[in-house]
Amino acid sequence: MLAFFRKNQVPLSCCFCLLLSVYILTAGARGQLKNEPLGALLMWIMRPLQIAAQGTVNWIGGLQDKYDTLAGFRAENERLRTRIQALEVERQKLLESQASNSRLTQLLDLRSHLPGKPVTASIIAHSASSWFQSCLLDKGSADGVSKGMAVVTPLGVLGQVASVTPRTAKVLLVTDPNSGIDVLVQRTRARGIVSGSLENGPVLKYVKRSEEVQEGDRLITSGTDGVFPKGMMVGTIIKVTKQHIGLFQFIEVLPAVQAARVEEVLVVGAINSSAKN
Amino acid sequence: MLYFFAGIFLILLQSTFLSLLPFGPVVPDFVLILCVYLGLHHPTMGAAVGSFVLGYSIDVVSSRQLGFNAFAMTLVFLAVYFSSRTIWLQNPVVTSLIVLFAALIKGLALVLVWMIFLNTEGFWLGAARYMLMEALFAAALAPLVFSLLRRSESFIKKFDTVI
Repeated sequence: MLAFFRKNQVPLSCCFCLLLSVYILTAGARGQLKNEPLGALLMWIMRPLQIAAQGTVNWIGGLQDKYDTLAGFRAENERLRTRIQALEVERQKLLESQASNSRLTQLLDLRSHLPGKPVTASIIAHSASSWFQSCLLDKGSADGVSKGMAVVTPLGVLGQVASVTPRTAKVLLVTDPNSGIDVLVQRTRARGIVSGSLENGPVLKYVKRSEEVQEGDRLITSGTDGVFPKGMMVGTIIKVTKQHIGLFQFIEVLPAVQAARVEEVLVVGAINSSAKN
Repeated sequence: MLYFFAGIFLILLQSTFLSLLPFGPVVPDFVLILCVYLGLHHPTMGAAVGSFVLGYSIDVVSSRQLGFNAFAMTLVFLAVYFSSRTIWLQNPVVTSLIVLFAALIKGLALVLVWMIFLNTEGFWLGAARYMLMEALFAAALAPLVFSLLRRSESFIKKFDTVI
């Protein structure tokens, strides 16, 4: 008998435990388990450990919450930053479109006032030499552009076509020393020639000493050269010098159009006699 | 003694730290793995009683009614004890399969006791889900827990030898 118990002690103890479990379950279900010492003992052992462990868990949970919050902020921040970048790009495109639209509208308006059939062109390159003031247009002889045509913008005169290829045209700017435009001083109607210079920028030449000109006077095309339409802005007088000797005054001019800031231009053909006036 | 502390530690782990992990309502049952380990490697009367106490401890900490887990864990220990006689191979895959099997037995035992002592309204779907999830979690974690227990045992043996 004892040998049987010793041989089967594990299954028998398991059976005992199972029966004990069933008893506990039954007693618990009947409400007869009021004071049970084992549970109280276990709880007495476990309670401080549970409190300590739960405290640690709460602390870790707090850290986790903080981390999650920070991570949430970071993710939100990143998302908003990306959004701002996208909006900035969009805004830039819109501004650019608006500016382009404005420029083209002005150009169209100008075009309607110009004689003949002006050719709209874009500047695709600027002068690569400091000795020459020129720019390159994306339209050439194939588009109706020919040497000698005037190049204008809504702000005023830019220059004159110096040479053409089938697809490009080189423009000699007002600021180039080799250029020359017949102009009128708008206020006094005094005549002169605006030409570039390497020293002081564009100057107004051949204005008699007796002519009354002053700083701030606006210079417009006279229209008598058969190239530029009459009345287009060329520049503003910024300095007038009357030398002791000589027939003419020395007048420095600020050009109305800064080539570096222009993108689209109109190329205007030769003006007939009716347009001159 | 090792298993006493291991048991307390695992119960603490189950009842506190695992809530930090994103397992949802399913709690990985480390105590079950310990019971399986005891059934496989320490098939003694003390281990059997230990399994009962472990289950009972879980009941004390978290069950609605005492005796549920005590019954289930004892049954698991007994099943593993009998099946361990036919298991000759010990590797992580086999360990996982044994624990999976044990977890299903535990689940069935709980279902059985639940059916007898508690209300089963709206019970089956949740029970099936929890049983399956617990079994899979336990099977996945079993090799790690077994390895840790083995290392702890060998460390204590070495420590005893040194002393």
